[in-house]
Amino acid sequence: MTTEVDHPSARSDRLPQGVGDLTTPWKAFVLGALVVLGFGVFAYIWELSQGMVVTGMRNVGSMGGASWGLYITMVVYFIGVSFAGMTVAALIRLFNLNDLKPIARFAEVLTVVALLLGALAIIVDLGQPLRGIINLFRYARPQSPFFGTFSLVIAGYLFASLVFLYLSGRRDAAVMARYPSRLQWFHRLWAAGYSHTPEEQARHRRTTFWLALAIIPLLIIAHSTLGFVFGLQVGRPGWYGTLQAPAFVVLAGVSGLGNIIVLAAIVRWAVGAGDRIEMKVFSWLGRFLMILLFVYLYFMTVELLTLLYATPEVEKQLSDALLGGRYAWLYWGSVALLVISAVLLVWQVLQGRWRMSWLVAIGIAVNLAAIGKRYLIVVPSQTHGTLLPYETGSYSPSWVEYSVVLGLFALGALLVGLFFKAFPALPLSEEEVMSDV
Amino acid sequence: MTRYAMVVDLDRCQGCRACMEACKIENNTTESMFWMYVFRFEEGSFPDTKMSFLPRPCQHCHNAPCVKVCPTGSRFKREDGIVLTDSDRCIGCRYCELACPYGVNYFNWQKPEKAYYSGEGGIDWADPDLEGVTGGAVPAYKNPELDKLWGTEKRRTAGGGHAKGVMEKCTFCVQRVEQSLLPACVDTCPVTALRFGDVDDAETPISRFIREKDPWHLLEEAGTEPNVFYVGGKPPSHAYKEVERPKARAAT
Repeated sequence: MTTEVDHPSARSDRLPQGVGDLTTPWKAFVLGALVVLGFGVFAYIWELSQGMVVTGMRNVGSMGGASWGLYITMVVYFIGVSFAGMTVAALIRLFNLNDLKPIARFAEVLTVVALLLGALAIIVDLGQPLRGIINLFRYARPQSPFFGTFSLVIAGYLFASLVFLYLSGRRDAAVMARYPSRLQWFHRLWAAGYSHTPEEQARHRRTTFWLALAIIPLLIIAHSTLGFVFGLQVGRPGWYGTLQAPAFVVLAGVSGLGNIIVLAAIVRWAVGAGDRIEMKVFSWLGRFLMILLFVYLYFMTVELLTLLYATPEVEKQLSDALLGGRYAWLYWGSVALLVISAVLLVWQVLQGRWRMSWLVAIGIAVNLAAIGKRYLIVVPSQTHGTLLPYETGSYSPSWVEYSVVLGLFALGALLVGLFFKAFPALPLSEEEVMSDV
Repeated sequence: MTRYAMVVDLDRCQGCRACMEACKIENNTTESMFWMYVFRFEEGSFPDTKMSFLPRPCQHCHNAPCVKVCPTGSRFKREDGIVLTDSDRCIGCRYCELACPYGVNYFNWQKPEKAYYSGEGGIDWADPDLEGVTGGAVPAYKNPELDKLWGTEKRRTAGGGHAKGVMEKCTFCVQRVEQSLLPACVDTCPVTALRFGDVDDAETPISRFIREKDPWHLLEEAGTEPNVFYVGGKPPSHAYKEVERPKARAAT
């Protein structure tokens, strides 16, 4: 409390890790994100006023469209991304992976932001969004797989993640609150009286341990219910299957780890923390990603063989469209990205050398592939192989859908950017804690 | 306990689509929305071709997948077997539509008033001559029964075009059934290919009819246990080619 008196000359630019330091590149980034977000908001207002007729979606069957499109694809993708962040953070806490501690903070932030985006992507997909926010809770039916996606994922899992982020950040908040700055109120609010005494430390360690232990099954359940949204339905070809739920969880891990790698590289560069996030962190993330990729490729092969070997008529129409028809470019493109990423990861493991540029490229590639695979789960089962012999349908997203989705990405980037200007991206090191105190 | 069911006699159906028209008029459904839909199929290749027809209302399944997936209970099944949508509660997530193997659900993609055949080459509702007759109402006649609350549950379940962003489908004309009338499609059919009644009572004409014939269900393998029975003809196969489709892609 006496720091302000002791250091009357202290200025906000002395906060560690560039917190509160509004540099020109950062301002440009925020401005860019705001422009994209603004256009997304405009597109959504257009959709609200005109109805969803401005999207590319139409009714399945006699209208020959797809009723779920890019929005639901992004719901599945965003919620998938959130999976890895919290999993990595919980694993770090549970197994005391000290080398990885620097990435825990933004892994948690990634989870929270991705979940928010997933929730928003559900809202923009609803025909009656305001009614949705109320009725999904007021008349909630746990029998519906949608309940797991919305009420459980958004309410339970988002809340648990926020609590975890809050608790694991309190020490740093308390340290930050000693610095006089425009953000001091925020850090004080976060610290909420915490002063890092041994008793407080012990209590926090205990709480975060049990929370981490509870969060992992919650994550598996939440992501499985997302798979159940599709995997329990016999009404559409290619959806019904026991492999949907586990495959969802694994692909969620793949896309999320890809995101963490990219974000870690960005933070490393932006904060200038090359010495803090060592290559062995990337090596750990790369190995984890490689294992999940192989599990996913195995699932995909099993699914493909099952589809090809004993195919009822409607499933055949679907597999034809996927493997050699309208969606073939997307299917084989996604598979190629996944396989190439896996090969490059194996190569680096064998070499024992990790290249930053390769890892970032792999991180982006697996995310593109994940979006592609999500799209292929959602859309083709509606346009091809309807159980009654309707004509083949078609769907392509409209400019409104593209703009809203880009707006969501911009919002996510903005939230991450803002957060790391208000709070250190990496847990404060011992030197940072000791200096200036 | 009453259990309503419909029987579609494919030996009688001539594919005239009068039922589709009657449904549209009774329920004020908007453009491209066909609660009752009649497939016209062609089988084989010229000159060995055969035509067949298949009316497809909502199957009002006993084990309805749409009811199971609805996150808000807006889609529900009444005790008498009619599956309905509460248009005041529906949030427009369209999950019911994707759970349904029959493709009977239709979403209001835009304000219903904008979707009454006013697209390209359609009706100009603002035309002064037309307005003189309609008094500016779109559609020109709206069935007043549709806005009422029906059944013991007293929810707004009948009729089309209630609001943008909610789901709709065949209601077995609940507003007519509640007044002891037949559904509009059944009432209209010129060749009695459609029958409707209570199958819980073994002595009703429809029960006796089902007993005499050898009825089957659409997509029996989906396990939905429909309350729409088919007699005569045969289940559609993917060797069928649909011909003479009604214009169905809603105006953009």
